[in-house]
Amino acid sequence: MLSIRNATVKFEAADGTEIHALDRVSFDIPPDSIVVALGASGCGKSTLLNAIAGFQSLTEGQILIDGLPVDKPGGDRGVVFQKDTLLPWSNVLDNVALGLRYRGVPKLERYRQARELLQLVGLSDFETKPPYELSGGMRQRVGIARALATDPKILLMDEPFGALDSLTRENMQQLLATVWAKTRKQVFFITHSIEEALALGTHILVMSPRPGRIVARYEADFVRTFAATGDLGPILSHPRFVSLREEIRSIIHTPASHNERHAA
Amino acid sequence: MSAVIEPAVAISEVKRQRTQQPRRIKKTHGTAVISFATLIGLLALWIIATKYHFASALFLPSPSDVAVQAVAVASEGYANGTLLDHILASLGRIGVALAFGIGLGIPVGLLMGLNRWAKGILGVPIDIYWGLPPLAYLPLMIIWLGIGEASKIVLLSLAAFAPICFAAQAGVRSVPQERINAARSLGATSYQVFTSIIFPSALPEIFTGVRIAIGATLSTLVAAELIAAQSGVGYMIMSAANFLATDVVFVGLIVIAIFAFAFATGMRFLENRIAPWKGKL
Ligand SMILES: Nc1ncnc2c1ncn2[C@@H]1O[C@H](COP(=O)(O)OP(=O)(O)OP(=O)(O)O)[C@@H](O)[C@H]1O
Ligand SMILES: [Mg+2]
Repeated sequence: MLSIRNATVKFEAADGTEIHALDRVSFDIPPDSIVVALGASGCGKSTLLNAIAGFQSLTEGQILIDGLPVDKPGGDRGVVFQKDTLLPWSNVLDNVALGLRYRGVPKLERYRQARELLQLVGLSDFETKPPYELSGGMRQRVGIARALATDPKILLMDEPFGALDSLTRENMQQLLATVWAKTRKQVFFITHSIEEALALGTHILVMSPRPGRIVARYEADFVRTFAATGDLGPILSHPRFVSLREEIRSIIHTPASHNERHAA
Repeated sequence: MSAVIEPAVAISEVKRQRTQQPRRIKKTHGTAVISFATLIGLLALWIIATKYHFASALFLPSPSDVAVQAVAVASEGYANGTLLDHILASLGRIGVALAFGIGLGIPVGLLMGLNRWAKGILGVPIDIYWGLPPLAYLPLMIIWLGIGEASKIVLLSLAAFAPICFAAQAGVRSVPQERINAARSLGATSYQVFTSIIFPSALPEIFTGVRIAIGATLSTLVAAELIAAQSGVGYMIMSAANFLATDVVFVGLIVIAIFAFAFATGMRFLENRIAPWKGKL
């Protein structure tokens, strides 16, 4: 299990002022969960994910995996970025197999595993294409397959579908729900869409900015239904979904002046 | 039910991109045709200008004179050597200088991009000499190294080194941090991050640097040969100018233009082979 304990990050801005990006944030990412961090722009979501990934060191606090502190990136935490980070000089198959190559897995074996993952994300026909010949949604799917290839315990996703049009986005959400149900990974997922948070999260952390902290926590299980039926429509109109959505909306929008000033 | 998504949509998207490509290729063909027509036009102007004696042959020899002279220079030679001798002398100098410039510029530039200390220490001397016109320190090179090949090779190598070194540095600095982070979270060691991410990411910039270096080397070469050499295309041009042999001067200039064109074409070819993704992602 992954635990975040009192995670605090302070940045020094260019003008010398201190930015309290994250303030004593604590939560767990239990097995078989999708923990979603939800909040307006600038509330420290990416900072939190980068800290878990090991890209960002904490000013205070700890990240623990099964009780052991981590402070470096590692293959146990796969990352899917908002902007895709595929290598343009490698084809889709080599991109997915990259982590296995780093581990020294022989070519045939890593291609075999990569092909399985491409099948999982529905891109078997594109393995020889360079990434720049794929659409944004397809690239994001390659990114997910690549992150899964090293068989991480946990998948960290920073607004992975934020740049996609709403149709593609819904397809990707469905894909993630299915992949999660199949692979049983723990997922930490960042979004600023309340509906996406509720559709995908088993645990939802609502964050607020300045300093970045968790202001509300919810549990939900719409994602299980979503994974089983593959249909978001009925979930969106479910009474409990609607009432949670409105409740979270009111929390996020309460300190409106506060958020807006920061989002600029 | 089991969710895996609209391949139809996906495939049609790829098709659309594919059908866009031929149109772009056609467009570049169009440009090539226009460029070629311009070249023919210039040649025609030249022929007309000499045919109707707009300028005396001393200033503007006719294309046929130049062609005849080219054959003569190639077979009988001019200024202690045949055209081929001069070309080989010049190409040899460029080749050696580029080999030094590339062989040292890339590793030093990469190191300076990666390491603060290397940048701090090496940056200053490189900035200083790169700011100087090469011909300004050619006399110093000659005092130090003599009038022979060594002074010219060092001068040209310095001219080639700096742009490649700067480009390699810029290439390293332009690697998106997310790409490096992605590799590290996939378990890459520092060495693997360098070989699989940083170096290939920097390649397009390095190519640009090499292209600039070729231009710098070529102009420095000709200038150096004009001043201090006993062979080479630049020397041939200078000797011809002393005797007002304008047609031989033209032969030399055309040879240099062909050098420049061949290098540019060769670089473009290499770049398309080695870094075809440039500007794509
Ligand atoms: N390297 C940095 N140096 C200084 N300040 C930073 C740095 N990174 C982030 N910040 C600041 O920390 C705060 C949180 O940033 P963060 O990127 O975590 O927000 P976010 O919730 O991910 O926002 P978004 O939804 O827009 O991605 C912001 O005020 C930001 O300006
Ligand atoms: Mg962010």
